[in-house]
Amino acid sequence: MVRFVLRRVLWALVTLVLVITIAFFAVNLLLPYDYAVNLGQRPRAIEAIREQLGLDRPLVVQWLEYLWGFVRGDLGESYDGNRVSTLVWSTIPTTVTIFAVGGIVAYLLGEWVGRVVAWNRNRYFTAASSTGSVLLFTAFPPWLVFVLVYFGTERVFQVRSWFGLGPKPYSPVPGGPALQVVAIGLVIAFVGGIVLRSWAKRHARRALGWVALPVGMAAFVASLLALGVWAEAIDLMLWPSAVMATIGLVLIAFGESMLVMRAGVSSEMTEDYVFTARAKALPERLIRDRHVAPNAVLPAISRLITSVPYLLSGLIIIERELKLGGVASLFFSAIESGNVPIIIGILAIVGIIGLVLRVVLDSIQAVIDPRIRIEGQMA
Amino acid sequence: MTDISQYEIEGWADTRKRVFKSKMVLAGLVVLGVFAVLTFIHPVLQATVWSGKQSVYRPETGHDTTISHPSGPSIAHPLGTDPLGRDVLSIMTFGLRPTFLVAVSTALSAGLVGLVAGTSAAFFKGRYDRAMTHVADAFVLLPPPLIFLIASKRGLLGPFELGLLYGLFFGLGPAAIVVRSRALSVMEKPFIDAARSVGGSPRWIVTHHVVPHVIPHVAVIVLAGVVGALITQGFVEFLGIGEYRYGLGNLVYNALTYQQALGSGVAWSALMSGALAISLLASSFYMISSGLREVTDPRRSTRRA
Repeated sequence: MVRFVLRRVLWALVTLVLVITIAFFAVNLLLPYDYAVNLGQRPRAIEAIREQLGLDRPLVVQWLEYLWGFVRGDLGESYDGNRVSTLVWSTIPTTVTIFAVGGIVAYLLGEWVGRVVAWNRNRYFTAASSTGSVLLFTAFPPWLVFVLVYFGTERVFQVRSWFGLGPKPYSPVPGGPALQVVAIGLVIAFVGGIVLRSWAKRHARRALGWVALPVGMAAFVASLLALGVWAEAIDLMLWPSAVMATIGLVLIAFGESMLVMRAGVSSEMTEDYVFTARAKALPERLIRDRHVAPNAVLPAISRLITSVPYLLSGLIIIERELKLGGVASLFFSAIESGNVPIIIGILAIVGIIGLVLRVVLDSIQAVIDPRIRIEGQMA
Repeated sequence: MTDISQYEIEGWADTRKRVFKSKMVLAGLVVLGVFAVLTFIHPVLQATVWSGKQSVYRPETGHDTTISHPSGPSIAHPLGTDPLGRDVLSIMTFGLRPTFLVAVSTALSAGLVGLVAGTSAAFFKGRYDRAMTHVADAFVLLPPPLIFLIASKRGLLGPFELGLLYGLFFGLGPAAIVVRSRALSVMEKPFIDAARSVGGSPRWIVTHHVVPHVIPHVAVIVLAGVVGALITQGFVEFLGIGEYRYGLGNLVYNALTYQQALGSGVAWSALMSGALAISLLASSFYMISSGLREVTDPRRSTRRA
């Protein structure tokens, strides 16, 4: 088992180097000169800027230097003299929190709805729900944001007023210790809740399964109160742009996760063990949730993991439209000014997020399913 | 293709029958067909229905002075007008062209790249295969939409080239992985051994036995990839950072911007036509893809009988 995980991590490191290499060359070839051209108009001024930034050296040398920096955990320096890692770290918590919370909510919703829809035999219900989720998955983000803001702003203000908070325009979420507490706390509450829930299901403790998520959230609220950051934290969580971005991501990701789960369940439905379970006169719900769903979940999750980079780029578009701050503000301003190191840094971070998720998922799968472990050793 | 089809267990005729049985595929094809007609209808409309008042219906500068803007659907303007008084149907049909171009070029390059990379990895095996798998794993982690956004910034690349680039990234990533695993399972089939034992050359085996079996899976993954390319193209037009053309993204942008600037009501008809055209066109590809996936999934099709 340990060997399997070690192999996986080693594989991930090689992949990471490849990701950075591809990102480095792609961005440098797609946006050559731009930064210097934006700053200096005369050819000699451009040349001087390039020389100063070290851009006149061969690309391969620059690449080796970048890789060496990366190995030491350094994402380099942006063209205007800031550390890229500082810039990225100041914006990434917002994006990652929203991605984690929105992704988990969308996954839970999608898993449940997909299961129900696959089991339902009503043709119209199936057609309507699949059309709806395809349209959600392919929704045009700026339009989605507009519709959410147009119809939802009043509701958000209403919810804010319940907690004694006033209305607020759409603006960047401020960073700081409160945000980090909220980010870590929310993710732990959700992940812990899900792990507890699946454990409870496996051991047939229905009651525990139902209360797992509420208990996680209650623990989260209690720890906020204990740390004394409650007021700040609730303001951050009900920040209009953050709320809207989360809802937007949930809507887009829900479509995909529901369709994947539905396809998974309906391909399992014709298996022999379902026939056996029916022959034993087990209730349909039990067959669906205890026999079919666990078999359908793993392939569905590994298909969803591959769409993580795609969903992340969707979130970046949404963030920009909502003026959320986050990675989007950094990404688009870097594109605008041709600040190549920042763009590469963001692509690298997106790659690392996807990679960590895959390694974790592979390890979990290997724990659950011994076949994967053995295959992995043989390969 | 004609003379080998009789030796195949499931011929093209059988596949076609199963494909058209799938409602997802049919619905997707119908939507795609409607949009294909709309894409090519603009010059026809200009020459016939709008021939009398071409200046009113011009997509860039048209303006109808007889009514106030933005307006909802009417007989003269079936999809209404945008805040600047231009006919939405005219802009939409005109703006579908770059979107369609992106779809075609993405599908072409992703399909070709994915097919070559995936099949060759499965066929040559060994060190080459391992290297290809690593490269594909790396490309999966680089979102093509972000690359597309970066590339469009300079405004030098048109929709066709951007689609090719998106297809390259998508083809070397997800498409290559799917194609490789399918090709590997085809290579295990007895008919490959049979072909080898009667002296089939590697080239013959790949082109006549492996590729025909892999093509449906290429179609599934490539059509799913087109979805992202279409939405990103819409966003590039929305931002106005690409090569400047009238596109569906501009339609949405103008509807939102001038509504704020001119203080008029929300131009719902312009907003909805632009956004829904992008989203429906993308979903037609998605529907064809997931319908095809169900048809080509061996586990489902054999058990359904």
